Parts: sequence; C-alpha cells; structure tokens
Amino acid sequence: MAQPEVPSPEGDAEERRLIDRSAAGDQEAFRQLVLRHHRLVINVAFRALGELSLAEDVAQDVFIKVHKALPSYRHDKPFKHWLHRVAANAVTDALRRRRPVVSLDAMEQPPASGVSDPQDVAARHDLQRAVRHAIANLPPHYRDTIALQAFGELSYDEIARALDIPLGTVMSRLNGAKRLLRERLGDLVSPWEEANTA
Amino acid sequence: MLSHATTREWLIPYADGMLASDERGRLDAHIGGCASCAAELREVRELNLLLVTLPPAPPVAFAPFWLKLQATLPQRRALRVPTFASYRRLGLAFAMAAILALAAASAAFAAPSALPDNPLYPVKQLEESVRLAVTPSPDRLPLQIELANERLREAQAMAVDHKPLLAATSLRALGVIVNDASAALKHPTDPRVASKDLHQLRDGLAAVERTNASRNDDDADLKQVLVADLDEIDRIEQPEVGSTAPTLIVGTQATPKPTPQPTPRPTPRPEPSDDEHHH
Repeated sequence: MAQPEVPSPEGDAEERRLIDRSAAGDQEAFRQLVLRHHRLVINVAFRALGELSLAEDVAQDVFIKVHKALPSYRHDKPFKHWLHRVAANAVTDALRRRRPVVSLDAMEQPPASGVSDPQDVAARHDLQRAVRHAIANLPPHYRDTIALQAFGELSYDEIARALDIPLGTVMSRLNGAKRLLRERLGDLVSPWEEANTA
Repeated sequence: MLSHATTREWLIPYADGMLASDERGRLDAHIGGCASCAAELREVRELNLLLVTLPPAPPVAFAPFWLKLQATLPQRRALRVPTFASYRRLGLAFAMAAILALAAASAAFAAPSALPDNPLYPVKQLEESVRLAVTPSPDRLPLQIELANERLREAQAMAVDHKPLLAATSLRALGVIVNDASAALKHPTDPRVASKDLHQLRDGLAAVERTNASRNDDDADLKQVLVADLDEIDRIEQPEVGSTAPTLIVGTQATPKPTPQPTPRPTPRPEPSDDEHHH
C-alpha cells in the first residue's frame, strides 16, 4: 500500500502559488501544475482502463475539469487528494461507459515483466478486465472508495482525506466493496493463484 | 479468542495491514484453528493481489499531452511578464498595433471600466496584458499598482452586487499582480509612495470585506483570498532578515525585538462540506 507522502512546506507553498496563479488565469502556472501531476493522473486512468490512448483522453478530461474548478479550490485538503478524487470519478465514469468486451488494443499492451507466455498474458488481461468491470459496477460509495485504493494506490488515511469521510467509514466501505467483488468475480480469483503457483 | 463473525468482519483490514498489533494477534489465533476463515483470508489476499498488480502506465511524453490540453483550455491572459528579447518586442509591437486597431473599433463598447460580469471584460484583460507586456520593467510598478487598484474596484463592485465568487476572482488576480510587483515594492525608488500604495490596497481590501459582510454574502472563499492578499502585503512590508547590519553583542544576552502584532483579519469560517468543490 502506498505510504502517505509528506510534502515539504516549501513544496506546499510553491504548489499553492501555482494553484492560485492558475486559478487567476496564468496558463504557464497551470502548465507547471499539469507537469507535476500528469503522470499520476495518467497512471490512475491506465490502471483503471488498461488502454493508454483511452487513459490519456480521460487524463485530458480530468485536467480540463481541474482547470475549470480551480477557482473554487479552497486549499482545505492537499491538492493531490483533491486531484485523485476528480481522477477517480472520471475514470469510473469512463469505465461504466465502456462496454465489457475483449479489446484488441488492450491485448496488444506490452506484457508485465516476467510474464512472457501468451496464454498467461491473455489470462492476466482477462482477469484485469474482469476486475475493472466489477469495480465499475459496484454501488457508487463502494466504487469511489475502492477506485482510490485500486487505481490511485492511496492508503486508508489518504482515502479518508480525499473523500472527507472518517477512517472507520473507509474501512467499512472497503470491506463491503471487496466482499461484493469476491462474490461477483467468483471463481475468477482462485484459478489465477493456481496458475501462478503451479 | 475472537468469534467467527468478528474474524470475518476483520479479514479485509487485516489483509490490508490496518489492524493494531493486539487485534492482529487475536485474529491470528482464530485463523490458526479455523480452516474456513483461513480459506477466506486466502481469497481476500488473492483479490488484493489482483488489485495491486494492475499495471502502471508506460512513460508518456509531456509536450504532446500539454499541447493537446492547451488547445482545449479556455484562453486567458498570461499574468507573468517574462523578460523579452528584442525580437519578441517587435512581435509585440505588431500585436499591439493589431490590438489597437481592434480596440479602436470596439472602444465604444469595451470601456476600461468593464466589470467581470461584463461580456467585454476579456477585452479589457487583453488590453491590460498588452500594456504590461510593452512596459519596460523599471516603469512597470505604477501600472501594476493601477491594475491592482482596478481589481479592488471590481471586487468592491461585485461584492456590492452580491457576486462574491467574481469578487474573489478579482482579488485572486490582485494577489498575483502584487506578487509580481513584490520585488519592486520591497525596494522602491520612492519608499513613501510604495508605502502609501500598500496602505491604500490594505484599506481597499478591508472595504471589500465590509461590503461583503454587509450584503450577507459572508463567503468563506472570498475571505480566504482576502487573507491571502493581506498576507502578501504583510510579506512585502516585513523587513528582510539580514537587511540590516548585525549587531555585535558582547557579554550580554540579546534582547529580542517585540513581536509585531498582526493586523486584525477577517477569520475564515469553517467551510460547509458540500460537494461543490469535490468533483
């Protein structure tokens, strides 16, 4: 699980300055803000969608929304957490709009390191697709919470701060979400372990 | 020993490493003797493994990503004025000529006094941007003060008109202008004029705050921007550390100077946890 980052006060002040200037219409400041965070957003979108071109499109949408909403951002939570929430909403929307079919593009993604057998690669992609689809179809409060953990790699504490909910609520939502995922994924989970341990 | 039901309830936080050590110990004790809970824990871990092994994105070049994004963003003025090379000045002169031609055509409409809720406000912003761009650095401060006061006037008018969000936007722009001018304000050619300008800005901010409160638009966002602007002015007025010669103290303890009392500020109220800012 990702450990919460502790940004330096100087880093905070610089980011705050970039945010304020972007909100006031300074495009160069916004460019620097995007430069700082585009990897994070593309990563969240790619983990959720599994296709780079689609992930980049969603990341573009995320930054357009951020640009529009910056004047109302109040620095009451870390910008990164706010951004995570915008990104998680955008990717789960994109996931729900997407039909759960086998995508040739997705099959053409480079295999993960250490996995070279085409059958293993295909099985892994099928599993990942099934997980993404199952997450997309969870009830919204479960979906939003687990998306931050699964796609955003946030800790419980970071999820609590991003969603403005108590830590206990994060725990109960993740409990509920994972129970439902296990029910819905059914046997898909166990054969994967067997395939890897065989 | 934990009950079967509680163990099942704790399995997911257990697998996520979120249980305290004593809770973890109690759970370990139960799982050691309960085959069905042990099997369920394996399933939870398998699911976690799937979630954490969703692959990260391959590297993406920033430049094309930004260019595509930039093309879809609403065009706004650039507030910071870089140091211009001579060829850029020439380009700006042409741009200025074009703007002037446009401005002449629309002068009757795009009055310099246009307010943020006026459709012609962007023309005014553009004109100001060009004025800033063509003004050489040494002469820029009076123009920046003029523009800062213009932002104050806008904020005041918007506050009178029950438009706190627009007022906050003008004040945010004011903060940027003051920040840009901070170096010149810290080391002005005429300290008395600079001090008077800053005093005037401080008074103007207080007036906006009073107007906003009197209209029952006690907007937290506006207050936060006000406080940030006042902080910026404070920073400028504060003497720089090391700007005076250090005093050598021999055989006695240095007596610290009294801490300057902060100027009274509007206190931002706790913000309601609405969804407006959480998308």
